[in-house]
Amino acid sequence: MTNTTPVLQLQGITKRFPGVVANDRVTFDVGAGEIHAVVGENGAGKSTLMKIVTGLYPPDEGCIIFKGRPVAFRSPGQAIAAGIGIVHQHFMLVDAFTVAENVILGAEPARLGVIDPKTSVRQVSELCDRFGLKVDPAARVEDISVGEQQRVEILKVLYRGAEVIILDEPTAVLVPQEVEELFEHLMALKGQGKTVIFISHKLDEVLRVADVITVLRQGRVVGTVPAAEVTRERLAEMMVGRPVLFDLKRGPAAPGGVVLSVEGLTSVNGSRAVLDDLSLEVRAGEIYGLAGVEGNGQTELAEAIMGLRPVTGGRVTLLGEDVTNLSTGEVRRRRVAYIPEDRHRRGLVLPMTVWENVILGVHRSPEFSRGGRLLFRSILSSTEEAVRRFDVRLASVLAPAQTLSGGNQQKLILAREFRGDPGFILASQPTRGLDIGATEFVRQELLNARDRGAAVLLISADLEEVLSISDRIGVIYNGHIQAEFGRDEADPRTLGAYMTGARTARREGGSVAS
Amino acid sequence: MLSAEMLASAIRLAVPVIITAVGAIYSERSGVINIGLEGMMIAGCFTGAAVAFYAGPYAGILAAVAAGAFFALIHAVASVHFRVDQIVSGVAINILAYGVVRFSSLSIFKMATTTPHVDCLPKVTIPGLAAVPWLEPLVSKVSPLIFLAFLLIPFTAWVMNRTVFGLRLRSVGEHPLAAETLGVNVYLMKYCGVLISGALAGLSGAYLSIEHTQMYVEGMTQGLGFIALAAMIFGNWMPLGAMWAGLLFGFAQALSLRVVTEAVPYQFIKMVPYILTIVVLAGFVRRSRAPAAVGVPYERGEAA
Amino acid sequence: MTETRTETREETQKETRQTPVRRPRGPRRKYALLDLAAPVLAVLFAMAVASVALLVIGKNPLAVYGTMFAFSFGRLDSVAAILYKATPLIFSGLAVAVGFRAKLFNIGVEGQYLIGAFCASWVGFAVKGLPAAVHLPLVVLAGALGGALWALVPIWLKVKRGVHEVISTIMLNHTAFLLLHYLIADVFMDKTQVIVGGAGSPRVRMPLMEPTALMPKLHGLAALIGVDLPSHSSLNWMLVFGILLAAGLWYLVWRTPFGVELRAVGHNPDAAEAAGINPSAVYFKTFLMSGAIAGLVGLSDLIGHFGYLDIDFPRGYGFTGIAVALVARNNSLGIILAALLFGFLSRGGLGIQVLEKVPMETYVILQGLIILTIVVFWEVIRRYVRARQKREEASADAQC
Repeated sequence: MTNTTPVLQLQGITKRFPGVVANDRVTFDVGAGEIHAVVGENGAGKSTLMKIVTGLYPPDEGCIIFKGRPVAFRSPGQAIAAGIGIVHQHFMLVDAFTVAENVILGAEPARLGVIDPKTSVRQVSELCDRFGLKVDPAARVEDISVGEQQRVEILKVLYRGAEVIILDEPTAVLVPQEVEELFEHLMALKGQGKTVIFISHKLDEVLRVADVITVLRQGRVVGTVPAAEVTRERLAEMMVGRPVLFDLKRGPAAPGGVVLSVEGLTSVNGSRAVLDDLSLEVRAGEIYGLAGVEGNGQTELAEAIMGLRPVTGGRVTLLGEDVTNLSTGEVRRRRVAYIPEDRHRRGLVLPMTVWENVILGVHRSPEFSRGGRLLFRSILSSTEEAVRRFDVRLASVLAPAQTLSGGNQQKLILAREFRGDPGFILASQPTRGLDIGATEFVRQELLNARDRGAAVLLISADLEEVLSISDRIGVIYNGHIQAEFGRDEADPRTLGAYMTGARTARREGGSVAS
Repeated sequence: MLSAEMLASAIRLAVPVIITAVGAIYSERSGVINIGLEGMMIAGCFTGAAVAFYAGPYAGILAAVAAGAFFALIHAVASVHFRVDQIVSGVAINILAYGVVRFSSLSIFKMATTTPHVDCLPKVTIPGLAAVPWLEPLVSKVSPLIFLAFLLIPFTAWVMNRTVFGLRLRSVGEHPLAAETLGVNVYLMKYCGVLISGALAGLSGAYLSIEHTQMYVEGMTQGLGFIALAAMIFGNWMPLGAMWAGLLFGFAQALSLRVVTEAVPYQFIKMVPYILTIVVLAGFVRRSRAPAAVGVPYERGEAA
Repeated sequence: MTETRTETREETQKETRQTPVRRPRGPRRKYALLDLAAPVLAVLFAMAVASVALLVIGKNPLAVYGTMFAFSFGRLDSVAAILYKATPLIFSGLAVAVGFRAKLFNIGVEGQYLIGAFCASWVGFAVKGLPAAVHLPLVVLAGALGGALWALVPIWLKVKRGVHEVISTIMLNHTAFLLLHYLIADVFMDKTQVIVGGAGSPRVRMPLMEPTALMPKLHGLAALIGVDLPSHSSLNWMLVFGILLAAGLWYLVWRTPFGVELRAVGHNPDAAEAAGINPSAVYFKTFLMSGAIAGLVGLSDLIGHFGYLDIDFPRGYGFTGIAVALVARNNSLGIILAALLFGFLSRGGLGIQVLEKVPMETYVILQGLIILTIVVFWEVIRRYVRARQKREEASADAQC
């Protein structure tokens, strides 16, 4: 398939989990010195496969041949010692440590157990120079950017002398400009003779950077093709098994009056301002999409609006009423729906039952309790109805929420939040981690709510999502809205420039006070 | 008020807090909360005195260290291997140690609450300095364990910051999964941290019974294990900070012992360390920074 | 990483959900049985470990445990003594368990019940001339208020200042004891004791409580069901009160809106907060409730037996309460049973001290061991069940 000799061969790898075959006789070769992309939808088995390769899981069947010899790693430590390293999607970095400490951990340059900090810093900066990865070895990880943190992860792997470097969804956390830099780094690594395995579901990126592409679908290899010989459309079809295009029913927006108005909002965390004079407005019947690199105040904005975080300056107004620093319960009483970004942490009480989760927050309403007593008949019928309306697949409303799949958990949150026809919806990363079907469902529901006249504030790290369903788009950077665009004037590169702070302070529509 | 005698007394009272607090740093830095320090101190107190009675102070101190480490081992097995709630396990250790000590005391000495008088280690006098009048109480006839306690401070700082062991121990308390993917043996590190904390708590107990009182008296730890934990928090999980916090407690206690008068009933004097602990925590706990993964049980191969 | 793992699991569940046939309930019952067996096994295991201590001092563990049983269950008055010893443990178990439901660790029950007992005792002797129907409830209320008062400090410190309740409550336990000592010995000491006592040291205690402040004994109720309690038994209505309270708390936790809040905050305060519940308020209410229940722990002894508060008032119920709540997994019925178990161990401890010359501290050792083994057992069972379910699902999958 390629003209290079294979450095890594996967032969008939099968891995079963209860109820699912995650990898089904997966077979392909990775040539030495190539950039090999593994693509597939969420749940196609890419991550499982890489965990098998790096020794986190043993395969049920099949074998891995590395440099011509069969290997069976029992831990990531063994894999990296042999020369296969992985950069995880969720970084495995010790925030409180310096870059150098993170890099050397587990393979410290030491004499008699004593580390010489100078030596380790020197070694790490030499490594930086050699591969053109710019990062300060003495800086603390918590103080550096996400892009730099990713470089630290790559350094960790290189420091251990890896020949094969696996990157799991490396662009998910990066803005377009950082993606460019990453690709340059990958080319540089290739130039130095390293082999790169690049896991992704973003086809454009894969086509740009990869030499060879392996497509996985439902745990099986659909095919391995040279990147030069395949089109985006063909890849998409291989990946999904049918031609895909989001089929969202989306009419023109009919914006009404202002529902949510945020004026000069400021909030501090310790000594750092996480929200800095932030202003925006969301009108009835429109979706306002907030784009931005994670960690620029999106979480804090959502929390501040919902009364989950104290505001030190500015105002939040809902339908003309000042709700600044009111309690979450008070805010919610104003027909507000909130889809939190982390459904496990903020969205659901997983060990509690479906019905308990559905009434949580409104459990004291006269519909569900009287005289300090829960009214089970009313609760259960209301729950059944909500669950039916949002097509939540479950065995029983008496089952704990944790027995539901991720997509169904998110639908359960929608079922709870959309009851009573909310006037304002705050949706934070509403489709994160969901498969295509569930994603489509959630986006459609947001559009439907918009068409019913709700004001929707959509916060998403997924630029494609923001672009596909928003009527207006704002870019947040360092806790401040840098620019606002109408639906038709936004393009990814311009947004990216504002998201990274390369361009600042563009004002649109005059709705923002300066 | 601030005489050298007073300072010497403050140091003598601070030492058990300091030693135990330094031990707590090892445990917490590896991510394990050790509420059982009090029980490990009790075990050290009694075992130290009992063994010292039969075999002299050196053997007593070693036995106390072993006793503290033994109870720490139970805590480690329960909270690291079986991942039970670390606070529950610690509370159980405290009850268990108290019960075992009373049981042993009754069985060996036929007294539940005290042991006979024991010999202490030979006192140390620093020849030159002892001649300086103001310094005399501080440097003459001092328990060698006091010097050991103050040596522990820079030593621990060095271990934490400059050794492979320290780096790995801290990494396990901050982000065990990251550590494991880099080949660090997470369980081993946690076991080491917990065992060292138990050994030091035992040593601290031996100081109390062999050096300070020269006998074991029931209830002599008086919550010092918990106060040490508070001192460690106050000291921001740093040895030097723990030392200053320990000295603060020692000083407060020395001071309060000196103001016993008719006007203030002695019960209120004895409350001083407890109230001080609460006040200090109330004032400082928000400003301190705990290891990120402290108290969270780690499942080996959680990555999988 | 972990996220992707969840996804794989999610996939699984999705597939099983889509099949219309529901999972048979057989295996679940089998595991439920395991849950019941765990406390029994834990107690047996703890007894086996404690045998080491007995062997070291040259006793035959089987003989010692045999004596424990024979002494405890041999006579009616001994069974009554077990019930009497279980009474405060029901309260302390409930106090700890209510806190646990909200993930609050109330180690302060120990101090709270001493303060509660003091308040009850003070109302019991200082308030005179009331009919029992008024005075007695007032005394009980004073106990609950005292306990809640002492719980106010740590929960305020936790909610407002972020101080973990474990350290603050332990500091307050020491403080409570010293305060009690001061109040009894220096402020409220019954001076007549010194004069009347004559030979020997006088009892350091507060004045006798009014007869209207004392809790009636259970002899009448026992007679109704045909049991003739020995006249010296101190078994009193606090036992019935405790059982009713256990039932009441079960209702509160599972049948009321507050119960939903309590459990939601206990499982996931962040999600509860996002849903509009104020976790701080729930923590506050729960901990004060725990403290109020703790304030009742000492009442069975105080108003059902002694009739005065002295310096040697029984201690340790608070710590045993932790063991009771853990063994019972915070379940109300379980707490009653676990309290009886520890009542038996305590009674048996007395028996072996008297008859076998074995220190009754064996009881304390058993307590510590039972806490450790029960939590380890729960964990082992949890892992076993998880592994079994995985395997069953896998094999079920292979069949289709």
